[in-house]
Amino acid sequence: MLSCRMRPAGCHISTSCFPRKLWGAAFILCTLVMGVPAFPTPSAESTGATGNCSFRGKYFKEELRLEGEPVVLRCPLLRSYLEDSANPQHLVTWHENSSAQLIPVGEPRVQTKDDALWILPAVRGDSGMYICRLREASHCEEIAIELKIFEDAEAVLSLISYPQTLTLGADGMLMCPDTQDFSQDKGGMGVWWYKGPVLLGGAGGRFHNVEEKRRLLIVNVSMEDAGYYRCVLAFVHEGRQFNVTRHVRLRLHKQTDTVPVIISPLDTISASLGSRLTIPCKVSLGTSTPLTTSLWWIANFTQIDSAYPGGRVTEGPRGEYSANGENFVEVPLNFDPVIREDLSTDFRCIVSNTLGFQTLRTTVKEAPSTFSWGVALAPLTLVLLVLGGICLHKQWKRRAGKAYRLTTLRTGFQNFHSIPEK
Amino acid sequence: MASEAASRPFGRRPYKMQSFRIWDINQKTFYLRNDQLVAGYLQMPNTKLEEKIDMVPIDPHTVFLGIHKGKLCLSCVKSGDDIRLQLEAVDITDLSKNKEQNKRFTFIRSESGLTISFQSAACPGWFLCTVVEADQPVRLTNNLEDSGMITKFYLQEDK
Repeated sequence: MLSCRMRPAGCHISTSCFPRKLWGAAFILCTLVMGVPAFPTPSAESTGATGNCSFRGKYFKEELRLEGEPVVLRCPLLRSYLEDSANPQHLVTWHENSSAQLIPVGEPRVQTKDDALWILPAVRGDSGMYICRLREASHCEEIAIELKIFEDAEAVLSLISYPQTLTLGADGMLMCPDTQDFSQDKGGMGVWWYKGPVLLGGAGGRFHNVEEKRRLLIVNVSMEDAGYYRCVLAFVHEGRQFNVTRHVRLRLHKQTDTVPVIISPLDTISASLGSRLTIPCKVSLGTSTPLTTSLWWIANFTQIDSAYPGGRVTEGPRGEYSANGENFVEVPLNFDPVIREDLSTDFRCIVSNTLGFQTLRTTVKEAPSTFSWGVALAPLTLVLLVLGGICLHKQWKRRAGKAYRLTTLRTGFQNFHSIPEK
Repeated sequence: MASEAASRPFGRRPYKMQSFRIWDINQKTFYLRNDQLVAGYLQMPNTKLEEKIDMVPIDPHTVFLGIHKGKLCLSCVKSGDDIRLQLEAVDITDLSKNKEQNKRFTFIRSESGLTISFQSAACPGWFLCTVVEADQPVRLTNNLEDSGMITKFYLQEDK
């Protein structure tokens, strides 16, 4: 993990030339002037006056700071700065190894405080390797940290800045980073935020300086908020005031994921026992990508594969498509065939992405039988109707015939009577 | 039959391990120091150290979390009264939720607005957190009231 860029010669010289230091971790300086930067190898075991100390190479995280400002270097060999500082069982010492400029021993500009190395303030010549040595009862380790000091100029912004991300359209906070060593109780005086030459945080604007937390609140982050911000902290040390500047590059993040919405199936699905059935689970993703979306089925809270190892019920192939700028994902649940047990099983379709999940329950219901008394009795009714019709017709014909005869008789009778009257 | 189901824990489910950029609400990102996951502020030349978080969803509420393309997984380990976050060299895609011994790798995710929190399933009440100070180990906390602990994170899909 650690890079191996150190040379053996440098290692030998850098460790053997340091005098042994006592408890108290005073700053130790290696007064070496070399034509090229000299670095020890990671594997080298130093065997100088300081005893066996294994060298871990160059720490992969560089420190980039501005000239004229205070610099604090912490030893990355400590697992936790907070917890280990309270542990008196270790000794941290600092050694400088720079080809550029020498710092005389005991210069008040460079001090060690709480295992950390303080430079108040840094000059360009302080750039170089700093070696921190951690000595504990059982072992000793060293690591080199690279410090680079720059002039505060536009050209170095892209190098020294800290990228931070806020979401477009939402409120968000920028943080004035790596300033914990200059906190209020340690002499911090306040924080100011700038974008370009403009001081931010005035009343009524979208920018609010949350000073005690060293944050800048931006209301309703918009596209034009992208770019470089500068937070400046005033810090007083032994009566001298310093500025601590950090540059933040705001990157904007567009929240493309939307909460997925299951649009089918319905609550209940009708199916005939013994027949095949497919229930598609269809999800609308809005503009979200199907890549970040997982969609699956469960039966009685068990994955389909586990619930039906025999494969009677299976998940079908996943489909992804888009229509009118909206993305959809679909996974069908296939039954071959539907059996009575399915009517009492809790089937759920589940969809999940970065913004959340949704689940929809569906129940299989036995379809109403196709046999219907109405349909079965229809021909019989028809026959009965026809028969009834015929009967009625015959009845009517019979009655009509009788009436005719009666009329005829009556008429005949009348005629009969009329004749004698004549 | 049971072993068949167990040997392919995700079945035909189109699970892809998803990788996300993660940062806490104080803008700290994750990186490794002495094989330990720490959260801090990274300047441009150091951003190559940033660790993405790998996630495999188990069910709607739970996920496995890892880093290094899922080759190191986050777990909650109890020893006595001590509860700590651990990085273990197991492949995230080999984990199965049905195995009790994998419970320590399981985290319950909960979203609130744009932020997300992760509670350990094996250590109920303990949440993945960073501390306010930079360059400190990522850990677990059961004290959500402590203003020095940050349990809310932002995720952004890593493309």
